[in-house]
Amino acid sequence: MKFIKENGPHIKSDDNSSKIMTRVLIALIPIVCYAIFKNTILVYFFTSQSFFSSLHPLFMIITGVCVSLVSEVLWFKFVLKKSFNNSIKETKKSFSIIPGLLLSLVLPTNVPLWVVAFGAFCGTIVGKMLYGGFGQNVFNPALIGYLFISVSYNSLLGSPLNAYELDALAGATPLTNLTSLGYYGVYDSVVGSYGSLLNFFTGTIPGAIGEVSKLLILVGFLYLAITKTIKWRIPITYILTVFILTAIIGYGIGLGLWYPLFHVLSGGLLFGAVFMATDPVTSPVTQIGQVLHGISLGILTVAIRFLTPYPEGVMTSILFMNMLVPLFDKIGVKLKYAFKKIYIPIIIYLILVVVLVLTIISNVNNSKNNTVDDVGNKVTITETKKDGNKTTYIVTSKGWGVIKAEVEVVDKEIKSIIVTDKTGETQWSEIEKENYIYKVITNQKDINNLDAVSGSTFSSNALKNIVKKVLSEELK
Amino acid sequence: MKKVLNYLFKENPVFVLVLGICSVLAVTTTFEKSYMMGIVVLIILVISNFLVSLIRKIVSEEIRIPVYIIIISTLVTLIEIILNKYSKPLYDAFGIYLPLIVVNCIILGRALAFASKNKVFDSIKDGFKSGIGYLIAISIIGFLRELFGNGTITIMNDISSITGYREIIHVFNNSVIPNKLFLTSGGAFILLGILIGIINGRRGEV
Repeated sequence: MKFIKENGPHIKSDDNSSKIMTRVLIALIPIVCYAIFKNTILVYFFTSQSFFSSLHPLFMIITGVCVSLVSEVLWFKFVLKKSFNNSIKETKKSFSIIPGLLLSLVLPTNVPLWVVAFGAFCGTIVGKMLYGGFGQNVFNPALIGYLFISVSYNSLLGSPLNAYELDALAGATPLTNLTSLGYYGVYDSVVGSYGSLLNFFTGTIPGAIGEVSKLLILVGFLYLAITKTIKWRIPITYILTVFILTAIIGYGIGLGLWYPLFHVLSGGLLFGAVFMATDPVTSPVTQIGQVLHGISLGILTVAIRFLTPYPEGVMTSILFMNMLVPLFDKIGVKLKYAFKKIYIPIIIYLILVVVLVLTIISNVNNSKNNTVDDVGNKVTITETKKDGNKTTYIVTSKGWGVIKAEVEVVDKEIKSIIVTDKTGETQWSEIEKENYIYKVITNQKDINNLDAVSGSTFSSNALKNIVKKVLSEELK
Repeated sequence: MKKVLNYLFKENPVFVLVLGICSVLAVTTTFEKSYMMGIVVLIILVISNFLVSLIRKIVSEEIRIPVYIIIISTLVTLIEIILNKYSKPLYDAFGIYLPLIVVNCIILGRALAFASKNKVFDSIKDGFKSGIGYLIAISIIGFLRELFGNGTITIMNDISSITGYREIIHVFNNSVIPNKLFLTSGGAFILLGILIGIINGRRGEV
């Protein structure tokens, strides 16, 4: 008798992992093409960037793919001590280009190439090979790579905007914009500055290389679902959960139906749901398990988006839920035969979700009502000196610690801000690097739309609050 | 030489027994803090083994853990007061992890497993062995974490008020961007895991 040893998944149809992964690659081709069109061709023809530097996103994709390929061959050759031919054969079997490709597609456009290489290397080695290779990994390798990059070199990730978009837009992705608005804003301020929701759908908004075109992702999803390549229940339940929860939240804070659509169409939600949450190795096998997985992913994503300072939340929730996949499978198998016994857990689960949604609604409503009071509490004017038409305010503002500053105002306009005490601010160097005080003074009329310095949000907000408080005092 | 390597790596409390890794993960952000923590633990380990071994015939089985904890915490408090007096920066840098030496499993483990049953001189020797193992392990981890995570090696900074000597080596001269991962506790865990893996893999050969 002859035994054949193959990597999973072991499905009875004539599908094998090679065919499945080829179909995933086919579904990714239009997305890669669009990404190159948007970030390379448009940039080259409509800005003054040189040809070589406008090709940067293409190089990122190539670097990601090559590094994950090479590092896997090297692992087989030097750690598992196989011959060179065998190493290449094994690498072909385990589809090592997929982690590198997916990783480079979820990165912003301006990441240095060596950072991409670092991420692809860590994703392949730590996320995949250390667990035993293809079919054995607990976590999605591409997301492990992203995690390593964002922990190690967060400051190098850079702006998500390519040079073409920099001319037209203020400098943030839609979700970052929403977070800085306190999760509440009218249609014009949240969606309007990027065009309309149709732009969100077709992908002419700033974002990571591969995640912007929802249309092509949906086409890819339909292709993958019809050919039964991916578990369609996960993306459907994931996106539906996010849609329903944000619709309820939108209703609670008094916004229309565009609000949930905005949440579904912005950020990496669709890309993550279709290509990462459905990874055949790291997602549940049972049908009920898949539905539970999708719902939990949606709830976690909404919670991260609304309750933490991180605007995105998709990748974190997928990584976190990867840990619970065996649990979902266990529940899935049990529920198939004993559906009646679980109404108490379901009720508890529902109560938790309701509590979560109510918390978010009351949080957003509070911050919506209290923005003026908030500034009043955080900034105090200790002294006012008048000298002709020049007024000098001595203010203290609560940042990470306390900022003390002298603000000179002439004719209801701030002329200078001299910071006298910044000892509590640990990230002050970021503020100096960006010349943020100058930015605050030049943008004082439109201070709400000025972005905070990334990595030093508290200090930036403290400076912005000083401007708000002094101007409102001046107008009294 | 072979014998020394053998007991450093075959019986190392951190790399092999994985004991007392709370301080190994927490205070090792600079090389100086790491070896100072190692020295403090070594001193406490030797003295506590000596005292425990002295009173081993008086203390009965039932109450030995409270008695040993009192001995160890007295020693830790003494060290804490001394550090607070002579080297305030180091005392502040250690923070809560200095009092936490009381519950370090290596110290209580050596007291229970060895010093409570053996003669005084043997107990001191045993405490010295374990302490040196811990010192070497924590120094290696602190050295690598500071090198990769910050690009510097602090030979002496916080305790320079005692020794009068200050030296921080900038290894890469700012030409290499340091990897912030190693300064987080998660990075320390990954580094510890890799080192344990290497040592376990080589154990048969040494």
